[in-house]
Amino acid sequence: MDQDTLLNLLSASADGDKQAFADLYQSTSGQLFAVSLKMLGRRELAEEVLQEAYVKIWHNATEYQHGKGSVLTWMISIVRYRALDMLRYQKVRKEDPLEDGQEAIFEEHINDDGPQVHKNKLDQCMGELEPQQKQAIHLAYYNGLSHHEVVGHLDLPLGTIKSWIRRGLQQLQRCLSL
Amino acid sequence: MNYRDPQLKDALAAEYVLGTLRGQARRRFQKLMMQIPSLRESTWLWEQHLHGMNQLLTPITPDERVWQQISMSLGFVDNVAQAPLPETSNVVPMATRNRLWKGLASMASAAAIVMAVLVVNNQPVPVATSQQVAVVQSAQSKALWLIEVTSNTIEVRSTSNLKPLANKDYELWMVAKGVENPISLGLLPKSGKLTLVKNSQFDDMDIVALAVSLEPLNGSPNGLPTEVLYTAELAIL
Repeated sequence: MDQDTLLNLLSASADGDKQAFADLYQSTSGQLFAVSLKMLGRRELAEEVLQEAYVKIWHNATEYQHGKGSVLTWMISIVRYRALDMLRYQKVRKEDPLEDGQEAIFEEHINDDGPQVHKNKLDQCMGELEPQQKQAIHLAYYNGLSHHEVVGHLDLPLGTIKSWIRRGLQQLQRCLSL
Repeated sequence: MNYRDPQLKDALAAEYVLGTLRGQARRRFQKLMMQIPSLRESTWLWEQHLHGMNQLLTPITPDERVWQQISMSLGFVDNVAQAPLPETSNVVPMATRNRLWKGLASMASAAAIVMAVLVVNNQPVPVATSQQVAVVQSAQSKALWLIEVTSNTIEVRSTSNLKPLANKDYELWMVAKGVENPISLGLLPKSGKLTLVKNSQFDDMDIVALAVSLEPLNGSPNGLPTEVLYTAELAIL
């Protein structure tokens, strides 16, 4: 679903068009649920976050502006921040902690038919990171792990993890801005 | 700390979006974003950068109840049973089969009005050949299919109100008095017009209603409706 279609649905939703909002939900909920489920790891919590996020999207539809990124990016942000809140306040953790072979599970969820040009640039820039930097950023991003939790997974000192992530992000930004 | 320092600003925004900025620092950052526009802009930029990673995730369909809960939270409907499923946006499945048959008697004054308009406005159609008509309506009383029964055929036209699912088909059934199960009349068009051959039993039966079901592609796998979506009353002309 392209940006123009989503924008039309979102702006109609902002005007109170319930059908447009239902269509918006249908077009995006699979993607947003994947984000939420990946972070929370438990279906019922991921659904709760998804539900709250869409209620917020309906109420805040008028606040979307192009400067905030694509409609999908904006919606993903709402889901992610809600999921981070959930992780933080409820202290929920995945029932199956990530283990060796986690990368294999991760690969299964990768869909290389992603439509975005931006995605290719991001792939390329992520590919230029040191493997450990990339892994730390992936753990933090996809799984909503804190610095301390990333330490637990990679078994390296906190200071090292922090600086990997910080430097990885700096390098990512330089690469993406080129 | 000077939050207007571009490097610090970027670093904080990046870790905020990544999710590694936690606790007090996170709350302070959220407050500062409200005050400092450039901090907000850095954050939006990082959202655009990083959220591309999510587009690599394969979509996973959430349970239907998520949409039902959203509809209820937003006051679109009063209870779960009324919440239309978004994937069949103009469709409200009957909650139970039982309710379907019970509901038949009280149906369709709105449909009758639509039919009257249809017949009046449709002069080029030779009325004499149409013996019966029906309008299949959505829960919002929008006409989805117009059905005309002639001596040998059933002519079906879909309307622009119909938003069909690509991976499903819609099947038409007749429900006859004294016959336990509905009898299939064929698949409905997802766009445009279709002529179905009239079932030979059609004229001999006392048809209480027509029903439309949601089916896998190519129709019901077992000869019975999978999920009844709507019913319509036949009117004799």
